[in-house]
Amino acid sequence: MSNVVLQIENLNKTYMLGKRPVQALSNLSMHVNQGEFIAIMGPSGSGKTTLLNVIGCIDKPTDGQVLLDGIDVAKMPENQLYKIRRDKMGFVFQTFNLLPYLNARENVELPMEGKIKSKSERKKRAKELLAMVGLSGREEHRPQRLSAGEQQRVAIARALANNPAFILADEPTGNLDSENKQEIIKLLAKLNLTQGTTIIMVTHDSQAANHTERILLLKDGKIIKEKEGLHLAKKNNKCPNCGANIKSTDDICPICKKPINAIEEPFSS
Amino acid sequence: MGIVSRAIRNISRRKIRALLVIIALGFSMAIMISIPAGVIANQQAATTLATNLGNTITETGQTINQTLLQIDCSLSSDFAGFGFGPQNFTFVPGQGDRNGFSSGGSSGGSWIAGLDPSQFGGGTVSGRFGGGAFGGGQANPMNESLYTDISQIAGVAAVEPVLQASEGSNVTTSFMGRTFTRMVPDYTIEGIPLISGLIDNYPIVPTNITSGRTLQAGDSGVVVLSENNSAYFNAGVGDTISILDNTFKVVGIHGSSGVSDTIVLYMNLSDAQRITNNEGYITSLRVFATSSDVVSQVATDIQSLHPELTVTTGQERLNQLQSLQSAYDTALANAQASIAQTEVTAFEEIIVVITATSLIVLFVMLYTVRERTKEIGTLKAIGFSNATVMGQFILEGILLSLIAGVVGIAIGVVAAPTISGLILPSVNLFSSSSTPFARALNMPTVAASVNLELIALAFGAALLLGALGSLYPAWRAAKIRPAEAMKYE
Ligand SMILES: Nc1ncnc2c1ncn2[C@@H]1O[C@H](COP(=O)(O)OP(=O)(O)O)[C@@H](O)[C@H]1O
Ligand SMILES: [Mg+2]
Repeated sequence: MSNVVLQIENLNKTYMLGKRPVQALSNLSMHVNQGEFIAIMGPSGSGKTTLLNVIGCIDKPTDGQVLLDGIDVAKMPENQLYKIRRDKMGFVFQTFNLLPYLNARENVELPMEGKIKSKSERKKRAKELLAMVGLSGREEHRPQRLSAGEQQRVAIARALANNPAFILADEPTGNLDSENKQEIIKLLAKLNLTQGTTIIMVTHDSQAANHTERILLLKDGKIIKEKEGLHLAKKNNKCPNCGANIKSTDDICPICKKPINAIEEPFSS
Repeated sequence: MGIVSRAIRNISRRKIRALLVIIALGFSMAIMISIPAGVIANQQAATTLATNLGNTITETGQTINQTLLQIDCSLSSDFAGFGFGPQNFTFVPGQGDRNGFSSGGSSGGSWIAGLDPSQFGGGTVSGRFGGGAFGGGQANPMNESLYTDISQIAGVAAVEPVLQASEGSNVTTSFMGRTFTRMVPDYTIEGIPLISGLIDNYPIVPTNITSGRTLQAGDSGVVVLSENNSAYFNAGVGDTISILDNTFKVVGIHGSSGVSDTIVLYMNLSDAQRITNNEGYITSLRVFATSSDVVSQVATDIQSLHPELTVTTGQERLNQLQSLQSAYDTALANAQASIAQTEVTAFEEIIVVITATSLIVLFVMLYTVRERTKEIGTLKAIGFSNATVMGQFILEGILLSLIAGVVGIAIGVVAAPTISGLILPSVNLFSSSSTPFARALNMPTVAASVNLELIALAFGAALLLGALGSLYPAWRAAKIRPAEAMKYE
């Protein structure tokens, strides 16, 4: 039924800390369907970032397969990998990673340089993307003149520059206050709903994770648990609490009156 | 937003640092262009020297040939026998004049070493030059009656009495433990006999007239000035000037024949005797022999008749010329050897400066790359290729180096003479063993200047060194793992 866009088989990643090997990923297998919004949770050092890096082709696994649309990228050479990163991946970092000497629009244009020849076309697209993340009128502002939340929006717009198949976000709300956290999660959820972009988000924040549709719990480089998130119910237009029909824009169930964004520890037990 | 404007923005990001780096690089580039500028200047100076010396030798030779029949007679100096005199020759390229100064000068007021400068192109270089007593004295005035005596010697075709006197100011110098007062002449008066039979047949009146006319038989109260005199008196043809409180009319200007007579003004002998209070006196006699076969016999006869005279023939002057020429040759050879040595040093220095410049670029760019690891990781994570990242940093290095190149050229244009003077060994024209005469000649100075060719070369070097110095840092940047973007700082 669902279209699998990412298939991971027996993934291992061992780092060498001096002479001591550190197993960051251990025989990990998983798959991701087209248009899914996935959260990866787990304690610090459990391998979340490593997994995301391998998926995003910015790190290579020690062994195992990473099939993107059926093509194994695990052993691909760098001169092909950078094109996959450019064309298929959109990275959102915990520290935003905007270039401080470029304004918002120029930051968004960066990934387009290798793709879109026309300057004016790049400019136009960057403006559209900034409008999409709610930053119309702030195009010419440098990062230091934007709030943390706004900087992360610019980063999201930049991730969307080449219309990627995946958005890979490593703790995108880690440096934000609770209000901005909400905004960013909502923005990602909206993009997932409206653009159909597949999103894989690493997070420590269970509230944020709850807004996705599938939550994976990582420990010692393995997926040890999986759970559905609230986003799935929303996508299916069903209240997660009573099963009544809702609209995707609803925050409170019109039938049981319980908040759809109810905070619940995903892996409390 | 292309990689060029990004490079510019990156350089301007840390302004103070960029400024310091650009100044440092700019100075090394300034040195880089000042060195060849200095070498070129030295070569030009040597060429000028060679040309000047060559011209002097040629002119002297011509003069000798013209006057091979000529015998010069003057009274010996009191100073004869002294090794070398305080003669000082300043040799200024491009002007080509050489003034000889004579010591003494206490007797007779303005009397000066009295040989006709046209005799061997050596200015008022003393006629005793060839005799070892180089300079060191002055011709004493002698009685005009000698003229009659010598005219009667067999083989003498004509005799030309000459009176020469210089006007100027006295300068006292100490030289080898002795004090000399030498006169720095403003002009030299040369009185020549304006007698029709004489001036028509013998080279007596100036022939190289640039405006007006030369002196004619019977002229009185008129002068022919040199161009220097014309400037000194601020007078041209037709003007009236005052010489020793007597008025003279300028009838012509002579273009100096070579380096000899640039400050010599010509007038009638009787006028010269009158205004210098030397009635009945002359400073030298030019004797013209009937043929070259009899020249030496005539000279011997003059000498035996008047042992007090210094008698010089064309042949002797030829010998003088030859010794002069060998001194010139030594000077030239020394200059060339010295320039060759300078070129070697310049080459070594250029290598050092090139290395230093590339190293500055290398370290600055390495530092930049290290500092911007996360940024580079981010660029790679969002899809920049290794080649683009490398290009970005090479471009930054080139740009930095080009800006420094502009600064360096600006410094070079202003300070090339100073810089090249500081770091290039000076060119030594004369070895210690060379003659005092040669030592007295100064190397013509040509100021080092930065020409268009050097500017173009400097830009090329800036481009090349910028690229060279940033190659390794750019490669390091390209090797940065994109996962660095994920590092939390
Ligand atoms: N570059 C590296 N070199 C050595 N060890 C690393 C490196 N990156 C990650 N690790 C180790 O791999 C394990 C997983 O790290 P990471 O994926 O960053 O965990 P998480 O993101 O879940 O905190 C940790 O033990 C970490 O110390
Ligand atoms: Mg992490």
